[in-house]
Amino acid sequence: MKKIGIYPGCCFQGADEHNYEITIRFLENMGVDGILLERAACCGGGVIDESNKLVVYGLNARNIALAEKEGVDLYTPCNTCYMIIAKTKLALDSNPDLKEQVNKILADEGLEYKGEAKIYHTLNLLRDFIGMDNYKKALKREISGVKVAPYYGCHVLAPNEVAVDDPDNPTLLKEILEPLGVEVIDEYQNQNTCCGYHATYTDNAQKERLAIKPLDGAKEAGADIVATPCPLCHKAMDGKEEPILQVTQLINVACGMTPEETAINLNKTEVKLSI
Amino acid sequence: MKNIKYTAKIKRYNPEKKESYWQDFEVEVEDTLTVLELLMYIKDKIDSTLTFRSFCRSAICGSCAMLINGRSGLACKIQAKDKIRNGVVKIEPLQHLPVIKDLVVDIDPAIEKLKKVKPYLEPDPKKVPDNLKSESLVSPEEFAMYDKQTDCILCMACYGQCNALEGDAKYLGPLQLTKAFRFIMDSRDGMDVEERINLVENSGIYECVQCQMCLAACPKDIKPAEDILGLRRIAKDVGKDNSATRRAKFWFQTVYETGQIDKYNLPVASLEEDGEVIKENMEKEFKERGLKEENFGPQPFDGIQDLQNFIKKVQKEVK
Ligand code: SF4
Ligand code: SF4
Ligand code: FES
Repeated sequence: MKKIGIYPGCCFQGADEHNYEITIRFLENMGVDGILLERAACCGGGVIDESNKLVVYGLNARNIALAEKEGVDLYTPCNTCYMIIAKTKLALDSNPDLKEQVNKILADEGLEYKGEAKIYHTLNLLRDFIGMDNYKKALKREISGVKVAPYYGCHVLAPNEVAVDDPDNPTLLKEILEPLGVEVIDEYQNQNTCCGYHATYTDNAQKERLAIKPLDGAKEAGADIVATPCPLCHKAMDGKEEPILQVTQLINVACGMTPEETAINLNKTEVKLSI
Repeated sequence: MKNIKYTAKIKRYNPEKKESYWQDFEVEVEDTLTVLELLMYIKDKIDSTLTFRSFCRSAICGSCAMLINGRSGLACKIQAKDKIRNGVVKIEPLQHLPVIKDLVVDIDPAIEKLKKVKPYLEPDPKKVPDNLKSESLVSPEEFAMYDKQTDCILCMACYGQCNALEGDAKYLGPLQLTKAFRFIMDSRDGMDVEERINLVENSGIYECVQCQMCLAACPKDIKPAEDILGLRRIAKDVGKDNSATRRAKFWFQTVYETGQIDKYNLPVASLEEDGEVIKENMEKEFKERGLKEENFGPQPFDGIQDLQNFIKKVQKEVK
């Protein structure tokens, strides 16, 4: 069985612990053995930079090194963790001096950042690690009669260096949704507007103003549900009129799990799936 | 060089009728055209009323920023053939600025905002001599801190795709904040750092959602989003006490203590009283779900001291 290192970000914590369940069950359904990188630390969330940017590089070099020690690649379902860890990898791989300085300290824990592990997010994991054919083979039933609007979130498409798909015309999420049997609503107003999550604790009103926009756009275009790969987008946007789910939750259902088994019942806005 | 056929889908705006609409232009042109040359071709051969702004044609004057396939960039720097998707190149004016005609926007509102950050040097008499005989020296290390940012050509590409502006039109904007950062980092600047922070504190740095679109947009590889984090860091260092500086301190502290941010106690730590309600709701939700109290927030993993030593050493040793 193929193995992958699961990076635990804050999206697995407290009220969001079900995100870990969703993730591990998703990997199981795809025939992948997920190894939790238990000693991994916060990616910095774009906030540790406000104290010390070098610590962000250090923490993520260490996170990647933990995966490398296990001989696995690193996978996170979170858009932001993905973007920050992938950005760190680029910084380390292009700056041998920084890499050497960090490695000197990592040696205390018996770790080394080699730069071998790849960084995956659900979208590129399905395409490049699991493979779309294997993905389709793993699906057991169709979720029919439901119109789904794909919502990527920002950090898998920007900055360009870490984008998992063509930022001009991303199609990956659509390609992942279609085999589920759902009808994909590909174009809608504000489909690229940010969910606002990162303003939650500094300017919550700003977050609220943004979160509603893609949801309203999707609703107007006739979508029953919005599907995002990102647990933070999900958290920021759940609870409004238009329901939002994580794409891994839909995949789990198509692999035979009940909505409850993949935490769909925990949604603030109720979702009805005909299966 | 060969000819290729595709559709240029252009968003037009007629100011007399106050009407905007999409128009398709079928073209057969050389595959070496920039988007700007494509627009010039259409204006020359198909529709002379098509209006856009350009000047230098070499990514230096900053006149020709627009949205191409929904992404901000300079028309003269981008190859049209690289932008064909399903046979179409989609071209629109920048967002967040009033459209004057077709692809031409009025940049004055953004320039007015730029003025608010005092985008000029207030010479520090200790650093900048008041005569022409001696020089005002800046070391290469000092200059490296804002070298990139001085390349800004005020093209507004970042502004035209900023999500914070989508949420609040009063938001200062990425290029404006990058400029503010650049003058704080300049050792020749004599304005008090706190005074410079005051200029941006309430209309900018905390509304940025860190979406990274400004990084993707900038034709000069400037990273406004990262400079905004820099401004927040400086605000914290000069002693500003607000939701964001409290969030930053709490975040660092709990990651140091447990390896993770404590999202259960974060709302109160950063939003103070306003956070109490969020915390109460979380507590209710946790209990309903039968979560154990010790799992409300993160617990340190075994061997957390290793992480703490690591963080301390990185802070001290990595340059
Ligand atoms: S990162 Fe901030 S400044 Fe840059 S585009 Fe996004 S919201 Fe605007
Ligand atoms: S920061 Fe970059 S994108 Fe923004 S105005 Fe300056 S040059 Fe243009
Ligand atoms: S025409 Fe001057 S930047 Fe494009």
